Amino acid sequence: MEPIKALKEIKKITLDYFTSAHMAPHNNKPVVYCNVFTPVELIYAMDMFPVYPENHAAIIGARKMAIELSSAAEGMGYVMDLCSYARCDIGWTKAGVSPTWGLPKPDLILVINCQCGTLTKWFEVLSRTYNAPMVLIDVPHSGNGEKDSAAEAYVRGQLDDLVKTLEKVAGKSLDESKFKEVIRLSRQASELWTRMLVMGEEVPSPMTVFDQFISMFPIVSQRGTEIAVQFYGNLVRELEDRVSQKKPAVPNERFRLFWDNLPIWPELGKLSSFLADRGAAVVTSIYTWAWSQLAVNEQDPLSDWTRQYLYTFNLNLDYRIEKYVELAELYKLDGFLFPSNRSCKWISQDVLALRDAITERTGIPGVIFEADQNDPRLYSFENLEKQIENFLELLVAKNHKA
Amino acid sequence: MARTKPDPWVPFFEIAQDPWSKIKEIKAKTGKKIIGHVLPDAPEELIYAAGAIPVAVAGAGIPISLAQSQIPSYSCSHGMGALELKLKGTLDILDGIIIPYVCDTTRNLYHLWRRLFPDVPCEFLRLPKKLGDPGASHYLKEEYLRISKWLSFITGQNVTEDNLSSSISTYNESRDQLKSAYLKMKTSPAVWSANRVIAVFESVFRFPRDEHLSLMRSLPWDVAGTDNTSRSKIYVRGKVWDPPEITGLFDELGLTLAGDEIVTGFRSVEVNTQACGDLFGSLVDRHMSMTPYTGYYVDPRKLVEDFLARVRSSGAQGVVFLNPKFCEAAAFDTPDFVNALKKNNIPCLVLETSSRGTSTSQIKLRLEAFGEILSGDLP
Repeated sequence: MEPIKALKEIKKITLDYFTSAHMAPHNNKPVVYCNVFTPVELIYAMDMFPVYPENHAAIIGARKMAIELSSAAEGMGYVMDLCSYARCDIGWTKAGVSPTWGLPKPDLILVINCQCGTLTKWFEVLSRTYNAPMVLIDVPHSGNGEKDSAAEAYVRGQLDDLVKTLEKVAGKSLDESKFKEVIRLSRQASELWTRMLVMGEEVPSPMTVFDQFISMFPIVSQRGTEIAVQFYGNLVRELEDRVSQKKPAVPNERFRLFWDNLPIWPELGKLSSFLADRGAAVVTSIYTWAWSQLAVNEQDPLSDWTRQYLYTFNLNLDYRIEKYVELAELYKLDGFLFPSNRSCKWISQDVLALRDAITERTGIPGVIFEADQNDPRLYSFENLEKQIENFLELLVAKNHKA
Repeated sequence: MARTKPDPWVPFFEIAQDPWSKIKEIKAKTGKKIIGHVLPDAPEELIYAAGAIPVAVAGAGIPISLAQSQIPSYSCSHGMGALELKLKGTLDILDGIIIPYVCDTTRNLYHLWRRLFPDVPCEFLRLPKKLGDPGASHYLKEEYLRISKWLSFITGQNVTEDNLSSSISTYNESRDQLKSAYLKMKTSPAVWSANRVIAVFESVFRFPRDEHLSLMRSLPWDVAGTDNTSRSKIYVRGKVWDPPEITGLFDELGLTLAGDEIVTGFRSVEVNTQACGDLFGSLVDRHMSMTPYTGYYVDPRKLVEDFLARVRSSGAQGVVFLNPKFCEAAAFDTPDFVNALKKNNIPCLVLETSSRGTSTSQIKLRLEAFGEILSGDLP
């Protein structure tokens, strides 16, 4: 398996980002904690610095510090049933150690709840810890994705208020031309990200979702910057070369799989190798697709965000089923991997119905296995391997039968 | 031979313990539609005004078996319990169900319900999370109007100003009576025990309000005086009375409720609905004025201060948290609440409750020890 050269840049990008984050208060840049779907373009346009406790937690998981830091949070009274991202991030405030030297103190905390309710409660804890003001953009769950004009007015009104709050914290008005430029860069990054995801349709696939997970950092935290555009530009060019040369991410690609849910950060490398050794390429995932849909237009970005939050990121079971069925055809999938993620109840509680509906619609089987995005104490990697191994054998038997 | 006067508390216990048999009888007798609502905060007045009987669906105390095939075991008892009741056929009597958006589990429960039980109309009450926000109030009013149309479609009866006004009056009267009962419990717990009074509260969510009001008239309102001096006063925060035996344990261990934030407890009666003017707006005002449920949003720093103020004003000596296992919202709030209580020298006890694996005897033991701390009666 030949590594993707462009991904080597991620380490430097991450290091530079956290250095800048810690320097932000010294450079008079207000620090804004936010979650992955917040309109980060507004924050960059206001010369503020966005910081993502979710990213912080994912890095803690990937660097195998989750047990130490989540235990610290448990010592503070946060029970083990809580999201392990939250426990890791809260835990560092007690333990004082983290692979990113922690996070700078926030001047403002911003959260949008279309993603999940957990984030709001986690960020409430941070608001109290740092005595920092918090803004919640409350997005009503639009049932089955049908149009909800009243909700549109409610969300749009909150985004208008958010601009005023940011201006107050930053001590200056939003510079419209700068805002447009940031949006343009953000859209460029999002388009490149989408081109990268679409390349997974190629047989053999030039990259796996594990590569996508590694490459996520700029699309999450640096949308609207040149850094993200350059990084994904280089990545896409390298992948296009791979496609033209039919260079596979997984040698002897035998199975093309789908990954539901969040990555299991502590096992990323092990799981990637385990699957590659068996000719299994995980070619797409609902998780990474989220960032392909974040682009907005310069004309009326606040209305675009309103619709995105209400109808795109407000996932519902029917939408997921339709989307997965569509991806199954586009990516010529052989099977679905469904981690039942204890830390993300929002996306995991309907996993049984989801799996059954997709298999019924497509005839493609799926396997559900116990997992957690960050906390290795909540699953057994050996069991997980066994389940996937059995699943791959089932796929072989199914293909023989066909 | 003199006839024994019937025990006035019995009907409330019967309804609270087995609401579905009673509702079945009422449905057969009146032909009214039965609308279930998963706790908390469905607008019961609207359901009632549409000519239906609202019945609360709560999962506390329900042994889980069938639901495990539909939802992962790391879901709270309330979500799993609601599914279990339907899978067992208990909820087949429902003509519709409202599931409120208060957390990720209720959001998923709604989608699972629609897929698994297409025969029972299910509506998602899109509650805004921000309390005290004008935009949220405006949105909630629109949402109530939308839900009213759905209810009218099921019952065939429109929610008119007249029937909504009448419904609000009935509910206000009921809440006033329940408030009086709560006060009796605080002053005269020997007769008005927590177990009895909470049975009255629990049953009100599972019985027609007007009939419940009639039943309440038979209660021993003439009991006077104060008999709570030797008891320790506690304040309870949680979702529902879980396990259901908990109020009996309070009585047994000499603990008196000074206040609570349970959704079927005092929180449900603390605010009345303005019965004139813009009635839908009044329902919204009531919702926004109630003690915040853990899934709602207020300034996080104020959340703790306000909680502490409520505990203090209740006169409670200690606080008991009834945290449903796997309820993330409650679990995120609790440590800061506990720290604030500790700073103010108010003892507290955090109980994690679940119908899977929580032992009532263990809870009793912990409550007993807590009671000893409060009373200073230490070995």
